[in-house]
Amino acid sequence: MKRLSLKPGAARPGQRLRRENRELYLIMAPVLVMVFIFFYLPMFGVVIAFQDYTPGDPFFSLDGTSRWVGLRHFKALFSSIYFPRLLRNTVTLSVMNILCGFWVPIVFALLLNEILHLRYKKTVQTASYMPYFISMVVAAGMVISFIERDGLVNKLIGLFGGDPISFRTDPKWFPVIYTVTNIWKTFGWNSILYLSSMASIDPALYESARIAGASRFQQAIHITLPMIAPTIAIMLIFAVGDIMTSNTDLILLMYNSATMRTADVFGTYIYREGLLTGKTSLGTAIGLFASTVNFILVFIANKCSNKISGNGLF
Amino acid sequence: MFRKKQGIREGSPLADAFIYIAAGLICLLTVYPMYYVLIRSVSSPEHALAGDMFLLPKGFDLTSYRIIFADATMWRAYGNTLLYVVCTTLLMLLFCTLCAYPLCIPTLRGKKILIPYLLIPMYFSGGLIPTFLVMNRLGLYNNIWAVILPGSLSIWNIILVRTYFSSIPETLRESAEIDGASHFTIMTRIYLPLAKPILAVVTIYTIVITWNSWFNALVYLPDTQLQPLQLYLRRVLVENTVDLTKLPMNEVAEAVRRALSGIQMKYAMIIFTTLPVLFAYPFFQKHFIKGMMVGSLKG
Repeated sequence: MKRLSLKPGAARPGQRLRRENRELYLIMAPVLVMVFIFFYLPMFGVVIAFQDYTPGDPFFSLDGTSRWVGLRHFKALFSSIYFPRLLRNTVTLSVMNILCGFWVPIVFALLLNEILHLRYKKTVQTASYMPYFISMVVAAGMVISFIERDGLVNKLIGLFGGDPISFRTDPKWFPVIYTVTNIWKTFGWNSILYLSSMASIDPALYESARIAGASRFQQAIHITLPMIAPTIAIMLIFAVGDIMTSNTDLILLMYNSATMRTADVFGTYIYREGLLTGKTSLGTAIGLFASTVNFILVFIANKCSNKISGNGLF
Repeated sequence: MFRKKQGIREGSPLADAFIYIAAGLICLLTVYPMYYVLIRSVSSPEHALAGDMFLLPKGFDLTSYRIIFADATMWRAYGNTLLYVVCTTLLMLLFCTLCAYPLCIPTLRGKKILIPYLLIPMYFSGGLIPTFLVMNRLGLYNNIWAVILPGSLSIWNIILVRTYFSSIPETLRESAEIDGASHFTIMTRIYLPLAKPILAVVTIYTIVITWNSWFNALVYLPDTQLQPLQLYLRRVLVENTVDLTKLPMNEVAEAVRRALSGIQMKYAMIIFTTLPVLFAYPFFQKHFIKGMMVGSLKG
């Protein structure tokens, strides 16, 4: 690898460029190959959604051993008794997460932006990131122990004179617990982006608003909020593009057979059926369906955002 | 910037008080769950079982920590996690540098194909099952490289490093070229030392993500001897398949031993395994945020 090039001018420029390019590609080669293996091969593997695939076969075979079955797995998925439940749970959990959680980091950032005492601001902000650094497993473990019948939450309910609730086994509580955990874990971290776009707002805007007699609340609503609207639009498009994915990691850790009715989503179903049971083609078909819908949603959200606010991802 | 604002944006003291109190309450609410775990884990066993402390620990007892400290399975898992963190981080730095340097050379040919080639995986993926089949086919099932190699490949970080490399003045490279240095020499002798700040960001990102990751290990590492700390924690905290109160406690008096509750052991385990990251994060959050900024501006 370590090869000195000839003195400049000794070779023709075209030749030198070619030699240079060869060296640069050699440097990159290991990464390019790995990207192909770990990212592109699985993408080609999606074709098994249209096959009757047995693990161990190649994804494509030219000698005709691949058994192509067209859309059979998709038909099986849509007519499956689990499909309505999976779709309902996935969409419910994601939409709840957006409705209850999306505005929290924005409001929190607006609040922090009004704090002028720098030390205090920094302390509050640091505390708000903390849950982001706790691992998903530990976060789920903590939440599970809090919502047990004799856990922290029921103890607090007891302090205020309420009756204990079986959060852990009551399906109707699962979406609430999931949403609260998600918000707790991410709101501080997500507020960083909003805070940074607030920091780049020209102070002269506030000055002129103040001269015109705007109160602080009015300034926040009429200056700060519109100035960070592009960031909000992009974050919202990302959130919409994740509706079919939901936070599978967290659900996989927190659900149990009692709460399956409201907790089972596409991601967890793929893990159980596709991986544990070994229905690889069906699992791939579900994954492909979910990511296609996500993609369409991003596209629609982006169009709407462009129309309404003039800001979009692309 | 903030000082300037201060002159412009002072408001009524009432609004100020409201804002400060609201922010403080949110902050307390966020930290409280972890604090509760901490105080319950250090309370004396009978109080820990009842769990009736809300503000301060009741009694003080560290027996649960002493027992956990002697848990061989946990140390084994800790060791695995450390190994994965070190390997993943080193490879991540290597791959980021190798891929980012050529991309910032203006005369590199084929960029029209290379850039989309690298960007497409950021938006599309084969999904869980095809990825699993590929890994299986490569013989990586139940192999530690199944968690290390994919974890050390991040297009996002490559873009971060490339953005930083592009900000290094070209004249520096050109003068080295005139002196007869090859690209490999320029990369290792000039760019790498100059890129320390961004490499620090990538390092910290990778350490935290690898330390906390568990799903890949769940899928690819069925052998408990290879599993990282997070999977051990999953068995203890989520699946309840490991009972910490059954750990050998030779030196512990019989009375204490009977009083120790599963919940206290679990909470002690949470504190013991999360504290390193929690103590470290105020120090490196600055890097974290910097990385997020660079990425959001140029990504």
